[in-house]
Amino acid sequence: MIVLADFMQRALLAALLTGLAAPAVGTYLVQRRLALMGDGIGHVALTGVALGLLTGWAPVWTAVVVATLGAVAIELLREHGRASADVALAMLFYGGIAGGVLLVGLAGISAATLTTYLFGSVTTVSVGDLVLIAALTVVVLVLCIGLRPQLFAVCQDEEFARAAGIPVRVYSMLIAAMAAVTVVVAMRTVGLLMVSALMVVPVATAQQLARGFRATFSLALLLGVAASLTGVTLSYYVDVAPGAAIVVVALFGFTLAWPAGSLLRRQRFAGQRAETGRRGHVAAEEHVHEHDAECGHPGVPHDDHVDYLHGGHLHARHGRHYDEH
Amino acid sequence: MTEVVDIDDVTVVLDDRVVLSDVDLHVSQGEVVAVLGPNGSGKSTLIRAALGLAPVRQGDIRLFGTPISQFRNWQRVGYVPQRSTAASGVPASVREVVAAGRLARRRPFQRADARDRETVEQAIALVGLTDRSDDRVDRLSGGQQQRVLVARAAAGDPDLLVLDEPNAGIDQTSQEAFARALRTFVASDRTVLLVLHQLGPLGPLVDRAVVLDAGRVLREGPLPIPADVTGMPQEHAHSEHRETGLFG
Repeated sequence: MIVLADFMQRALLAALLTGLAAPAVGTYLVQRRLALMGDGIGHVALTGVALGLLTGWAPVWTAVVVATLGAVAIELLREHGRASADVALAMLFYGGIAGGVLLVGLAGISAATLTTYLFGSVTTVSVGDLVLIAALTVVVLVLCIGLRPQLFAVCQDEEFARAAGIPVRVYSMLIAAMAAVTVVVAMRTVGLLMVSALMVVPVATAQQLARGFRATFSLALLLGVAASLTGVTLSYYVDVAPGAAIVVVALFGFTLAWPAGSLLRRQRFAGQRAETGRRGHVAAEEHVHEHDAECGHPGVPHDDHVDYLHGGHLHARHGRHYDEH
Repeated sequence: MTEVVDIDDVTVVLDDRVVLSDVDLHVSQGEVVAVLGPNGSGKSTLIRAALGLAPVRQGDIRLFGTPISQFRNWQRVGYVPQRSTAASGVPASVREVVAAGRLARRRPFQRADARDRETVEQAIALVGLTDRSDDRVDRLSGGQQQRVLVARAAAGDPDLLVLDEPNAGIDQTSQEAFARALRTFVASDRTVLLVLHQLGPLGPLVDRAVVLDAGRVLREGPLPIPADVTGMPQEHAHSEHRETGLFG
């Protein structure tokens, strides 16, 4: 039995939490086609980290505050939906990273310290960090799972969600804030520059294999945890930045899932086409229209075919007429 | 007769362009009203304004007698946006999309109950997609995707159905199936407001049409509207037998 060093235990716990939170929020970001939002927030969060290093406050706290402000700003720009929002976003991103580097320089902190925030580090997760990371992860997961129907509706079709009386703006801001919190949660393991990968790649992998939103969501969490734990373990033995190891493992998973996904889809298609036996029958009365999937009469699946409910009895298609079933 | 939609002197400006100017539209309970007109005439904006989705510069909008800004009974409204919105970044099954139609009746953190689930299955059956309910929406044909959106609106059991070009790019079979579903809906004295590019198989169902041109009401009245006004092929009203109930 291998006894893990204390720092490694903390790193693995942080990886577990990150692996859950990142794909949970990531699923909604991908659904909204905002896959790179995490990346933008990561850039902005760097200023927050630098602010912490400069002032001596815990960088995790300052990063949460600055990243959330940045995320809300990004969401406001997105909401306006003007062409200039694109450029404004770019300015926000690079302003964030430049501000971070500038503040770190002023504080006289080495590039090596900065690197641990950019690409993650297994040796620097403190107990205090871990407690905060755990608390934030629980909040993110409770919201992501408990509000799934509402968040799904908002991300899937904003116009419809509005017309269903869902406060779209509140939920949009909530997603942005959760993304910011998740970036900070993930900062110590994958690092600010790669956090977006852990939000997006497990989701992309999961959707190769799953048919529905809920299934994609659950599978993405599972894959996220697997990639984070494997990546952190790998970085311990090979001595590379954990962020790089986690992302490479996640991408490897995707390359495996992609061909499997195409195979699965082909099989399902073949399954839909399969046809089998028949039985004795009574012909039904004359029809003014053809029963089909679209005639308005409800279909009732019956073994290998579909019957249509028609005035209290079932009709099944047989050649050019309908049978009573 | 109870007024369901009241639009009075409404002007909508989008990106410094006047999309609607001084438009009036009134829809009473049980009516089927079509908004017709060429592309860019403001049809979609008009029905989006009716739902509070378009920024109104001036004028009054009421739904079921309540000013739109104070309107909270969203479960009475079923909205079917244009089909382009059916697919999103993450796959969703037909059932999942249709289930979103129940959200106006559910509180946050409240789980779907048996009635929610049952209504969702009924709505899927209404549009004839029961055998596809676990399939990904983005793998369906355009006509089937459109029917998913209709089912989503129907799942909310609304009193007013608002549809944006439900027939655009849809094959004849789906259009006819859709016309039957609508007829069922209207038979229970509910109200429909829809944007149409072409009347098609829905023509016989429409009680009244409003023709828009360049953001103004060009003409309003019962069908048929002369072809030279609508700029589309002439449709004649059939005296067709009406199916009695939901399941004919």
